[in-house]
Amino acid sequence: MTVPVPRPDDGLFDELLSAASREAAREGEGAELYERCGASLELAEDDDGARVLVSHERGFALRLFRSGRVAFAAGNPDAAASLFRVAREALPRARTRRGARAAPAVAGDAAASRPADRPALPDEKVARDVLAGFRRSLATSGDGAVLLREATVTLGERSERLATTAGRDAAWTSRAAALVGTVVGRSGAGRFSARVVAAAARPEELPLARLSRYAADRVLLPLHGRPLEDSRRDLLLDAHVASHLVGRLAPLFLGDDYDPLLLARTRDGRDPLAAPVVSLVDDSGATGGPVRTTRDGEGTPQKRHVVVERGVAVSRLTDTAAAARRGGASSGNAVRRAWSEPPVIGVTNFFVDPAAGLAPLDLLNPVARGLYAAVLLERPYVDVAADRFRLSVAGYLIEKGRAGGRVSEAIVSGRLSDLLRRVEAIGDDLRFVSGAGGGVGSPTLYVPGWKSE
Amino acid sequence: MDAVEREHAEDADDAVRIVSGLLRRGDHGEAFRERRTVVSWSASEAGLLAPSVAEERGTAVRIRHDPETLLFAREGDGADALREVVRDASRRAGGSPFLKPRLRPAPPAAPTALPAPTDEQAAAIASALARALPDPRGIVLSLTVSHVVVTRAVITARGFLACGRSARLVATGAVRRAEATRPFAFQSAAPFPDAAGAFSAALREAVRPVAASLPLRGEVDVVLSPAAATVFWHEVVGHPLEAEGRNGHSVLSRVPRAAVAPAGLFVWDDPGAPDQPGSYVHDDEGSPARRVPLIEDGRVVGLLTDRRTGGADSNGHGRAADYRRPPRPRLSNLFVSPGTATLEELADRCGSGLLVHAISAGTLEPESGRFLLLVESAEAIRRGRPGAPVARFALAGDLLSALRHLDPARGAVSRPAEGLGICVKGGDALPVGGSSPAILLRGLHVSPGRS
Repeated sequence: MTVPVPRPDDGLFDELLSAASREAAREGEGAELYERCGASLELAEDDDGARVLVSHERGFALRLFRSGRVAFAAGNPDAAASLFRVAREALPRARTRRGARAAPAVAGDAAASRPADRPALPDEKVARDVLAGFRRSLATSGDGAVLLREATVTLGERSERLATTAGRDAAWTSRAAALVGTVVGRSGAGRFSARVVAAAARPEELPLARLSRYAADRVLLPLHGRPLEDSRRDLLLDAHVASHLVGRLAPLFLGDDYDPLLLARTRDGRDPLAAPVVSLVDDSGATGGPVRTTRDGEGTPQKRHVVVERGVAVSRLTDTAAAARRGGASSGNAVRRAWSEPPVIGVTNFFVDPAAGLAPLDLLNPVARGLYAAVLLERPYVDVAADRFRLSVAGYLIEKGRAGGRVSEAIVSGRLSDLLRRVEAIGDDLRFVSGAGGGVGSPTLYVPGWKSE
Repeated sequence: MDAVEREHAEDADDAVRIVSGLLRRGDHGEAFRERRTVVSWSASEAGLLAPSVAEERGTAVRIRHDPETLLFAREGDGADALREVVRDASRRAGGSPFLKPRLRPAPPAAPTALPAPTDEQAAAIASALARALPDPRGIVLSLTVSHVVVTRAVITARGFLACGRSARLVATGAVRRAEATRPFAFQSAAPFPDAAGAFSAALREAVRPVAASLPLRGEVDVVLSPAAATVFWHEVVGHPLEAEGRNGHSVLSRVPRAAVAPAGLFVWDDPGAPDQPGSYVHDDEGSPARRVPLIEDGRVVGLLTDRRTGGADSNGHGRAADYRRPPRPRLSNLFVSPGTATLEELADRCGSGLLVHAISAGTLEPESGRFLLLVESAEAIRRGRPGAPVARFALAGDLLSALRHLDPARGAVSRPAEGLGICVKGGDALPVGGSSPAILLRGLHVSPGRS
């Protein structure tokens, strides 16, 4: 298809930054200006035909800081000139919070100090190839019993630029790809449908074969298996199931909101949070992770950050303000979900480190009487405050290390802290899913002798 | 007509000509303009924290040439944005854009100011928070409270159609106590002071301590309050009757004219209902908003359609989450005919079971008809009388079975569900509303601790 020529840089960012710096200096304020340009292409196919969606966007956001107060204003280029005035009008109504300030310069900013490149529109042919690949893969995995009712491939590119009156000036680009499918399983027992999702930093990294196997299990197990009543069993949580559980732990480590809770759970840090085989990491450059960025929403360079090391909570994920409150440097976890929303602390790729992992077959061998939880049937319920979790899963029985009958539904539930501390082994099969506003991942987890409540 | 609607209509004649020139023989389509202003406050148990203001403007052009639909979107909602997006669409559709030069050069666009949060808004929200939490000890509140104003217009080859301006107060987040975290969602399309009052009442309810006693397990008869029943109808009748897929994608859409519920039950969707979050004048494809009967006298009689599924006969339910997203057949405000019973009479008919006050979320698997409702607040019914509060749980059931076992007696009073909030389907979030009387459902499956 014809690719529209990106518009040249019009100097609007520099103009706005210069005006904001001038105005802010008069009142002793700090200012942060952010620009995002995005291009995305979405290809969707269903019973009624195909849809091609092409979208370009450009937005500006400004944060104004004064004595611990912060106000945010965002708009398209048409309204960008009024952002400073609106933020200044809103600022007196903000409550003071320690640490709120414009981010300072970091090494390397000088080189990046240039307008972000305008993103090009992703190639429609790539999207068509991804969709065709998924169809082929699903036909194999589903063995004719699984239909793809609707599928959507989204490819996006964006460029961002951020500058502050405290000297930060950075520009960076990123890409993303996602595949969403609605699959329907059919058998003599009826029909069952499900929505499955895969995300990756590049279209070629979308795990099509894995998603199609998961999709087939997701709609066929509830039709073919038998429900499993509560009983004590060894538990193998597939990487996909475990990832969603791990994602629900992320809020514990975002800033300082959950510090009292975390301290209470670990008796002021004397007890471990999880078993020694469990280390939790946030890494925007993790292989296979759906997020791949070099800077966060405040322009802070990102790197691998360990929050739980061998079961012990050792640090938190922070933005500039939370880091200042804790007396350290930002971990680079300010996330902007959209240019029109203020940044919040969030994850990039948050996962259980598989470094201590075993091959999945080695995990299977010691299981005498167990359940392999292959798919999630519902959104998992995890309440970190109440220390409870409940997963509705389908999967396979395991007898003496071998897969047995199919399980259409089983409930795995209990105390979250018990589950984390009783993980005896992990696999080396790290997988990611979308979750917690970024990517969340885990290898297969082995928990012996689990009795659901 | 407010200032934004006037702005959208400024180049109406020119815009209609441009859209008309874009569509070739056999094509259908339209242009779409949207402006969304969100004034938000982050809030904690200590009060309001930081204000934010965001305004997003966008224009989209959609071309339907069976079986393909094209959608091009770009920022900006003025004449220039329309011309740019039409150029993009023409290139992709293989035509040449029909952009006649303007007779007079366009006047320079007046700088449009973003609205700043007003003292009145801040005071009303702060006061609502203070009333809801007179003693915030032991409570951790993490909320975003937003006043959202959306103005939309559709330009077809025949004319310019204002879809209307909607304003809502929306609050989302979580309430955390030592024993549990509870998700919180609220929205109201009522005038601001009334909406702030309703927000305060909803939050006060949400911060109450969670009951510890477990509900009965297994098959249970359940009375749903009007607010809870609205969520039930939304999931169990509304979504399955959104027209999608040529062969019917849900157990309900595959049985037109079938008697699935007791005689005397009427369910309809009405986007024209006033003061409801899901109300509009024209849908996002320019079709007039129409009241659509879905169940009449217990029989399935209707489907909610858009242009893609209903063609020219669309009944005005093509709704888009924002200008970048395609319109799809979606619910607006779902209503259920009232009966004559009081809540006490329904509890008496129930005998032993549960009275559900609030449902925080629900899902339905359309092919099998299995549904799950997450109950936040309920009481046990013993000997026909509601009594002790019970801990959170989930209600599961099968759509056809639940409708078949619906007790013919229904409450006399229908109340709008403020907790219904935002409906997310396929990742697209839309405001929805509706009202229902209290109902009595027999034989739902209760699963404790799943909420």
